[in-house]
Amino acid sequence: MRFVEIGQRNLKELYRDPVALGFLLGMPLAFILIFSFAFGGQTTGAVSIGVVDEDQSQVSKGFVSYLQNIPALRIISPVYSSQAEADEELSGGGLSIYLLIPRGFGEAIEGQQIVNMELVYNQADPMLPQRVRPIVEAASLGYLDISIPLNIELAQKEAQIKDEYVNYLIPGMVVFGLMILIPSVSGIMVRDRTRGFLSRLMTTPARPWDFILGYTLPFVPVIIISVAIYLGVGVLMGLTIVGNIGLALLVLFILGICCMGIGMIVGTLSKTEDQATGAPWIFIVPLVMISGAWWPVEQMPSVLRVVAEAFPFLHAIDASRYIITSGVGFGAVLPDLYWLTGWAVALFAIGVLLFRRSMTS
Amino acid sequence: MDGIETFNLTRQFNGLVAVDGIDLKIGEGELFSLLGPNGAGKTTTIKMLCCLFRPTEGTARVMGYDIVKEPFKVKEIIGVSPQETAISERLNSWENLSLVGRIYGLSSGETKKRSLELLEIMGLAERGRERTSKFSGGMKRRLSIAMAMVHNPPILFLDEPTLGLDPQARRATWEHIASLKGKKTILLTTHYMEEADFLSDRVAIIDRGKIVALDTPSELKASFPKTPTMLILAEGVSDALVQGLKERYQHVDGYGGKLKIADEKLDFGELTHYLESNGATIRSAALEEPTLEDVFIRLTGKELRE
Repeated sequence: MRFVEIGQRNLKELYRDPVALGFLLGMPLAFILIFSFAFGGQTTGAVSIGVVDEDQSQVSKGFVSYLQNIPALRIISPVYSSQAEADEELSGGGLSIYLLIPRGFGEAIEGQQIVNMELVYNQADPMLPQRVRPIVEAASLGYLDISIPLNIELAQKEAQIKDEYVNYLIPGMVVFGLMILIPSVSGIMVRDRTRGFLSRLMTTPARPWDFILGYTLPFVPVIIISVAIYLGVGVLMGLTIVGNIGLALLVLFILGICCMGIGMIVGTLSKTEDQATGAPWIFIVPLVMISGAWWPVEQMPSVLRVVAEAFPFLHAIDASRYIITSGVGFGAVLPDLYWLTGWAVALFAIGVLLFRRSMTS
Repeated sequence: MDGIETFNLTRQFNGLVAVDGIDLKIGEGELFSLLGPNGAGKTTTIKMLCCLFRPTEGTARVMGYDIVKEPFKVKEIIGVSPQETAISERLNSWENLSLVGRIYGLSSGETKKRSLELLEIMGLAERGRERTSKFSGGMKRRLSIAMAMVHNPPILFLDEPTLGLDPQARRATWEHIASLKGKKTILLTTHYMEEADFLSDRVAIIDRGKIVALDTPSELKASFPKTPTMLILAEGVSDALVQGLKERYQHVDGYGGKLKIADEKLDFGELTHYLESNGATIRSAALEEPTLEDVFIRLTGKELRE
């Protein structure tokens, strides 16, 4: 019964490597937890929406206060009186969707004439209009007792976007792709350590920085090439780059540097190649999910949102998405850039300290 | 100045003593071997001397530089061939050697010159451009040793340089190492007796982290004399004869025509006379030479190779 012996041996091998085991169990566990927490049950929050009341009539004011009492909507106050104000908020990222009540709304209602309202939104969440529309329609039916045609349109700059979904998806996917740098960087470092090559190099006069840079710089071209490929393929698939492409590349590049730094730390701490290439997935996948790479995070519980905002990934996804889709400028993404750069600097500083410590044991 | 000097050099791993207060003086240009079984503390000693491990107690000086206080000074002047064949298998020999040369700050011209010399010495010149993943174990080892010497260091640490090599490759590697004698201070670890015997100026026998004997190979063998032992190949050896031998001598092994006879008062003439008068025809006879292995067994009470 040799297979029993072999099986027992491998079982020991597995449970004596807690990190590998943690990976094996932790990954599906994390998937289950995240999915159920983010999308399960009644935790879906109210949709934040701006309202522009250009009419300022009794009817329109009454309608707005009716909307304010609907639990599924959270009307941002104050109510805007001109469309220009709301547009500014929309392009700055302070607002994702607004409802426009046009001039002459009240008269038209009283005169039993047909009047349109508009839903204007940006690309932060292409699903928003679908969620808001039935609520507004039900409200108009309930309060005004008539069905009001609702025009849905994208904010001006975004009108040129060919495929909303592609524009939503690509920035998140680029960030996810860059995160795969983490196991790559750590893998090469640990492979060299387990084969004694790193020890050999440590008997030379090379300093900690030599190692850190020597093991990360080769990945810089990888960052540039992979971002170029992802965006290039994105354009082929219908991605419309509205904003400054250079600014978007900067954001993504700094995120790539952060990922390299994480990889280097994982590589310094891992003892086996399996740990180095496997363990990062424990945090990569959940972080991707809560950072809005694959689906909107607006409806996520705020705890997760806070966690996601602490990490660099959400900032990179948000910033590159706003640049590419809404065409925002440097000033609008500056806080994100600060956050990303801070992470990059901190990760490399920690990496050097840890590596220095690992040079003599 | 001594090449390498250790002072109460000690290393513990979670309370287990791997190296236990070693005091050594290795002269400049000396080839010194640490001989001991696996786990005796040989590699730990080397790793402390090349600043990979921090001593728990004590310290050492390498060409006058303290391994704890001046690790980067030490690293400048040492060359290390680790126990693992630590080469980069996706590179060819040239690239491996240049990498090391350049890390030590050699110019590209110097690196090239040294690499060429070393490839010649190590017998790798013809396959210098080939990916080392295709190399045999022996070639990888030789490249690994060459990589320790690109920058022409005055101090060389060779950790089990012939581990896992076939006898032919081992012999060739010995020749290469022997050719360096006198030019460099070399500290070599091995658990092969013949290797320590063949190469070393002096040998320290190390067991459980302690040095149990230290001298030249010939002095060590002389100071632990072996029971005289004869190896005899003969025809016509009957079971009765073997039984008779066992009654006369302290230790007798007999398989077919092969006899191994050991006794403190062994007399060659008396033995051959006894054999021939009992119907055996002697084909060959030889006196077994004492080896370091005998010394080791005497000192530690165990065989060297597990």
